[in-house]
Amino acid sequence: MNGLLIPQPIRIAELYEDGEDSRHFTFEPVGDTSIQQAKPGQFFNLTVPGHGEAAFTYLSLPDSDGRCSALIRKVGDLTSALFERSKGDLLGYRGPFGQGIWPLDQLKGKRVLVLAGGCGLAPLASIIEALLADNETQLGLIYGSRDPANQNLERERAAWHKQLPIIEAFDLPAAGTKYIGTPLNHIDAILAQLGGEPEAVLTCGPEVMMNAAADLFIKRGLSGDNIWLALERRMHCGVGLCGHCYLGSSYVCVDGPVYSWNELTRLRGTTTAT
Amino acid sequence: MRAYLLEDIPSLLTHLGKDRQLFAPQHIEDGDLHWLPADAASEPALDSKPLLPLSSPKAFFFAERETLFRFDGSNFIETLPEVEPQALFGVRSCDLCAITYQDQFFKQDPYYQARRQATLLIGLDCLEPCDGGFCPTVDAGPFVREGMADLILQHHEQGWLLIAASDKGKKSIDGLPLPPAPSDWQVQRERHEHEIAARFPDATHIEAGVQFLNSGEVAATTWEAMGLQCLSCSGCTSLCPSCSCFATFEHPTEEADNGFERERCWDSCLYEAFQREASGHNPGAKAGARVERFWFHKFSDDYTAEFGRYGCVGCGRCERICPGVIGVHSVMKRISAQS
Repeated sequence: MNGLLIPQPIRIAELYEDGEDSRHFTFEPVGDTSIQQAKPGQFFNLTVPGHGEAAFTYLSLPDSDGRCSALIRKVGDLTSALFERSKGDLLGYRGPFGQGIWPLDQLKGKRVLVLAGGCGLAPLASIIEALLADNETQLGLIYGSRDPANQNLERERAAWHKQLPIIEAFDLPAAGTKYIGTPLNHIDAILAQLGGEPEAVLTCGPEVMMNAAADLFIKRGLSGDNIWLALERRMHCGVGLCGHCYLGSSYVCVDGPVYSWNELTRLRGTTTAT
Repeated sequence: MRAYLLEDIPSLLTHLGKDRQLFAPQHIEDGDLHWLPADAASEPALDSKPLLPLSSPKAFFFAERETLFRFDGSNFIETLPEVEPQALFGVRSCDLCAITYQDQFFKQDPYYQARRQATLLIGLDCLEPCDGGFCPTVDAGPFVREGMADLILQHHEQGWLLIAASDKGKKSIDGLPLPPAPSDWQVQRERHEHEIAARFPDATHIEAGVQFLNSGEVAATTWEAMGLQCLSCSGCTSLCPSCSCFATFEHPTEEADNGFERERCWDSCLYEAFQREASGHNPGAKAGARVERFWFHKFSDDYTAEFGRYGCVGCGRCERICPGVIGVHSVMKRISAQS
């Protein structure tokens, strides 16, 4: 109970630019402290001393040495302060949080479509890696960005291109690409490469995109129990106390951040205040 | 539960005050009741017809503002509150229900628990309805519920019925010479509560409103209309004894170059920026949706499995404080009129 809201110190072990206004950060525990193992879909809270705390999903889960990584885009005060930090600088860490995670065991052996928008690709990276490790799973990825400069996870995508079909779409026309528009404009193309209708869809990105994707696959006959969305909400605690991340009677920090479409629809149906 | 006859209040205040700081509702110059330090010379408001203190006792446990930890440049150091033993004297049943609710909500919160465990609760049965209160409708009174207070007081013409309702309560009156209460007082107490509950004004608008709210069929336009009346002043959430949302913020300390303290303070789901993310995405952007959220959290059946009751304890403070006339009676009347 004690220590519930207290970060542990971590250091920036590595960082590099990874798309417009975005950086890839690797963190490591300090001294003899350790970082608890996590599951794909979980998140952690990062403290930038003097600038607050915010929730980020793991890009790579903590390894046996406690090293983990995140893709972070500069959008507000906290991330702007983080971008002033350098390798070796001290930060605070709490986690892992979230009981609503990608349903790895349910997905194994299925035909799975991953649909990502913008930096929403990062929360999907750990489940992509976990499913790639399962030879029976058929996996395809469609990734939408505003333009090529806005794309993230260049190194990860380079490795994935060798292992699964990927369509990279752009909102704005870009040289050398035929996929213009949102990811939803190119569903038939990715499914042709994947070999048929998906048995599960995993999505993360702008909420309007995720909602539209879920609607589309419901119309195509997929059950809402097999459509999974990772939500973003403002959070001040990560442990179901501060109240900020409410979604109906659910707190996204505890019950999410990943929800099935059916569960999300049920929660949204109880109140319009979601 | 052992029942005693207490002849006078000051003797109990003196005894309990030996080992702990007492607090009790007392009138101040503006006429309102406030929780203030008390001793044997104090005149706590223990009237049979209750006037609730403007603020519930929640700030004694869930501090309006407190430091969570400090950072000395290398380590994050927890700053748990150091709480001297204290007693809250004369807590009404509605507020005790809210404390029990928050005990469960904050069961893992060390700051809340440090304060709560240092506190003795002396409950007080209400012998008449209070203005605006509807505790019987939400199973929160008018008499103190079992397990919610350490000591329970009830006024009688011949003195006070004093019930030792917990081991902590029994221990707190060790050494205080008290005769047993007349044998029929406890039995009368059970019967008497129903009689007093029946004297409360009609609350069918609350029952109908709650039922309709749970049907999920309240028109969005109804919430939007009420959203226009909400000034986002946080009066309701500050005075509501079961509201518990907080925000965190930081300020630098001189301990080290980058030393800082993190604090938390009460927040309100009625604020426009409550859910706003750094990206600008704001699920709670609409005032009507925020008003709906507040009432959903108080009255949705979705919470009763976890807490065994609604978040609303029927104290009516939101109606007293709301400058936009969207307190509980006003809102439930409007909702129930639609059903």
